[in-house]
Formats: sequence, C-alpha cells, structure tokens
Amino acid sequence: MTAAASGAPAGAVPVPADPVLAARGLSARYGEVQALAPLDFVVGPGELVAVLGPNGAGKSTLLRAILGLVATGGEVSFMGSSLPRRNPAAVANRGVVLVPEGRGIFGPMTVAENLELGSWRLGRDARERQRRMGRVFELFPRLKERLGQAAGSMSGGEQQMLAIGRALMADPKILLLDEPSLGLAPRVMEEILETLGVLNRAGLPVVLVEQRAPSALKLAHRAYLLSLGRLAAVIDPREVQSHDQLAQYYFA
Amino acid sequence: MDVTLIGQSLVSGLGIGCVYGLIGIGFCVIYNASGIVNFAQGAFVMLGGMITHVLLVRGELPYGLAILLAVLAVALLGVVIERVVVRPLWNRNAPMFVMILATLAAQIVIERLTYLAVDDQPKTLPVFTDLPPVMVRGIAVNMQALWIVAGSLAIVGLLALFFRTTRTGKAMRACAINREAAALQGIPVHSMLALAFALSAGLGAIAGIMLTPTQYTAFDVGVPFAISGFIAAIIGGFGRPFGAFLGGLMLGVVQAVAILFFGAGLKTVVALSILLLFLFVRPSGILGLAK
Repeated sequence: MTAAASGAPAGAVPVPADPVLAARGLSARYGEVQALAPLDFVVGPGELVAVLGPNGAGKSTLLRAILGLVATGGEVSFMGSSLPRRNPAAVANRGVVLVPEGRGIFGPMTVAENLELGSWRLGRDARERQRRMGRVFELFPRLKERLGQAAGSMSGGEQQMLAIGRALMADPKILLLDEPSLGLAPRVMEEILETLGVLNRAGLPVVLVEQRAPSALKLAHRAYLLSLGRLAAVIDPREVQSHDQLAQYYFA
Repeated sequence: MDVTLIGQSLVSGLGIGCVYGLIGIGFCVIYNASGIVNFAQGAFVMLGGMITHVLLVRGELPYGLAILLAVLAVALLGVVIERVVVRPLWNRNAPMFVMILATLAAQIVIERLTYLAVDDQPKTLPVFTDLPPVMVRGIAVNMQALWIVAGSLAIVGLLALFFRTTRTGKAMRACAINREAAALQGIPVHSMLALAFALSAGLGAIAGIMLTPTQYTAFDVGVPFAISGFIAAIIGGFGRPFGAFLGGLMLGVVQAVAILFFGAGLKTVVALSILLLFLFVRPSGILGLAK
C-alpha cells in the first residue's frame, strides 16, 4: 500500500523516467480563486493515466491547465519542449488533443463535417483524411452509418464516440478525455472505455478523467487522485483490491 | 390607391431590402464568430460607396476596378478593426459590452476621418448599366434595382456555398457553434475571427456600392444603414445569415409601403416599430435564434 492511506507524499508509485507529458508545479486559478494547488503530473510513453476524484476535486481543471485554457502557474512540457499557454489551437497542433467535458461536438453539423474538422491541420490531404476516417470507423462502426446525420441528433453514446473520433482525426500523440462516461448508460460506457483500452494498447498515451473510478482503474497504469483541488495520492491500480480500499482513498 | 404605385413601392422596397439584408448578414457573420455586435458595420457600407467614388472621380480608374479595389480596401479595414480594436480587448477578456462600445467608437472615428479626408458633400455613383427601366405590368423596374437584387442573391448563394462546402467555411461555422471545441481541434479561431470581419466588411462595402447609384453616400450615412441591418438581423433571428437576409427584405418592403401610405417622414418610425414589435412579440426572429 502506498501514498495517501498512510499519509505519505505522492510519488511512492514508480513514475516513468522519460515522460511524454510532464507538468511541474502546475497550478490553476479562476480569477482570484486557486482551483488547483501546485502539483507534478507525468504521463509516460504508452501509459494510460486515470485522474480520479469526487465532483469539484479539480479533475477538469487539471486537464484545462495542461491545455493552457486557464491561468496557470508552473511548467507543462510535451515531448521535451514546453506547451504554449492560452493558445489551445497551437497545443492541439503539437498533438495534444482534448475531448472536452460535455463532448463539444458541433451539433448542427453532420458527423462527416465534425470528423473533417477534426483533421483541420491536415489541410487538403484527402487520402490521409480517408485513412484516418477508416481507422475511426473501425473503432466506432456506428459513426459510419451516421455520416450524413446532424451530430446533435445522435444519442449521447454516439456523440461521445464522435467526440473521440473527431479527436483521433487530428492524429493525436496523446489523448486527454474529460469524463467521457458522463450521462451514458453503463453498457455504452464500457464500450467506450474498451475502445480507449484498444487505442492505448496500440501505443497512444491517454489521460482519462473519470468520476467512476472502478472502470477507469481497470484500464489505468497509474491513477492520480485529486481532492479539493489538491493531489491526494498517486495510486497503483493493481494495489487497489476492493471498493472499500478505493473509498478509503476518497475519504482519506 | 393605384395598384401600380404599390407595385412600384414593393420593387424599390425589395431593392433596399436586399441591401439591409446584406448588412444584416454582416452582423451575423461577426456575431457568430465572436459574439460581438459590430456597430462599425455602417462605416463599411459608407466607405464602400465613398472609396469607389474617390477612385472613380479623383483616381479616374475604370468603374469595375474602382469597385473591386474599394471592396478589398474595406475588407482589409475590417481586419484592421479586428486587430486594433477588438482583439486587444478580447485578449484582455473585456466584457462584451465594452467590445460593442468599442466598435461604435470605431464607427465614429471612421466617419470623422472620412469627413476630414473627403468633405461633407453627398456623393453619388453612376448606375451600373445605363439602360431605361424595364416595364413589368406598368411597373417601372430600374436597372440598378435589378443589379441590387441579382447581385444580392448571387452573394447569398455564394456565401451559402462557402459556409457549406469549403473547409474554411465549415471551420467558421464550427467556431460559431463552439469556439473552444474548435480551438481544441487546432482550428485557428483568431484567424477565423479576422476572416469574419473581412467578410462582413466586404459585404457591407458591396451593399453600399450597389445602393449608392440610386441614392447617395456621405460621411454620415453609415449609422442609419447599420441600424437597418441590425433590425434585419433581429427579424431574422440574430446569428442566422439567411434569416437576416429575409429580415432585410421584409424591412425594406414594409418601409417602402409605409412611406407610400404615411410619407417618408415616418420611415424610421416604422423601422424601429418593427424592431420593437419583434423584440416584444418574437424576440427569436422569424427563423428562431441560432444555436
């Protein structure tokens, strides 16, 4: 057993020595309010890192801070060079792609248009776009059937698939997801998490923010537990044996 | 009342309505890209006619070239306003209200600079084709009105094509729907905003150029046009370019008929009454609000 249960500082879980994404002393503010106390956050090559914690723990804020969408302190670097702040398009073009909370799909536009816009940086390379679309359809065959449909008219699960598919169209080097399971039926959620597992096993680093800890821990290599805007613990999922133990983390 | 007289009013109303519609589209395009109501829109309309006049009369350029250069110059000015007036405030997270006021200030500055650079005399432009009016069942349709209607429809068609089929057009729509999500996909939202200003300014300029031969332009004609275009956009459901165009047509026709029955003095009263009517009875406009 490590970390919070014994009150020991985070970091007892082995941390990858050569991270692709590394945040050092990252903090975030909304105006005068400190929403995230300084913390270190790293993702190693091919890692799936879960960010857990109750509502209001600062999970979304952590993602927004990594992307530079909020006022931040500290430093975020990706593949060795620092990520720009307050310029999400530039961050996306570095291969750091976020599937935002609430999915952020372009509802009135068609599924095809949504996917096309995902590959904005590709320019007019139609062949590569087709290739990426083919890969998205392999993961989410349902999207192929809905290509001409307005994205907003699909079910929540399909919209989430589209949001992930759109992010994949950008050919991300790391994928960050903000509660993809929110509002979804358990079966749909499992399907989506399973797909994330497939992507991750193919080598894509993933940061998964989740409130439903047990499902996320099944996939994760490591998990950061946040509480009240602070890092409470870094967890090794293999060492979490039971729900009781998890609850202990939550309420520690 | 003579039926042909009513017909005549309808025709002139449709012409001016197209112009209101184009200005209204300009409001929508910028609003969709940024959430800002750009009150410098009237300055673009005024400058379109004014710059064309200056190039034509003082520069002695061919009419077509003068028009082209004027539209490009005004589109460029749109980008300058975005860069100099809007973006600095935007980057500082200024309240929307402040940004809207800033565009109004830009309108006044442009108006006064034009007054200093040219003069306060009304200017006009030659009609595009010097042909006698076409008679349709006793109604005289002048050629310039046909140019305005045909030109406006062509522009609306091209805009629809642009927004539906081109990569950039789709990206602009995406920014209008969810700016942050668009940025997260790598779409350069700032460039899209600059483009929106260029597009709206160009539209305003074209509207002003088409209209000037039937009326006149002067340094201070911008604000009334901006108000009419704004009303057109409200009628259409703010943020819906096509709705704004319909709104413009409706406003133009109602105004023309009202002038016929109540006299020209009540033109503005009628326009503002329509605005109030829509704000009270159907604030979402004829097509409903965007988003």
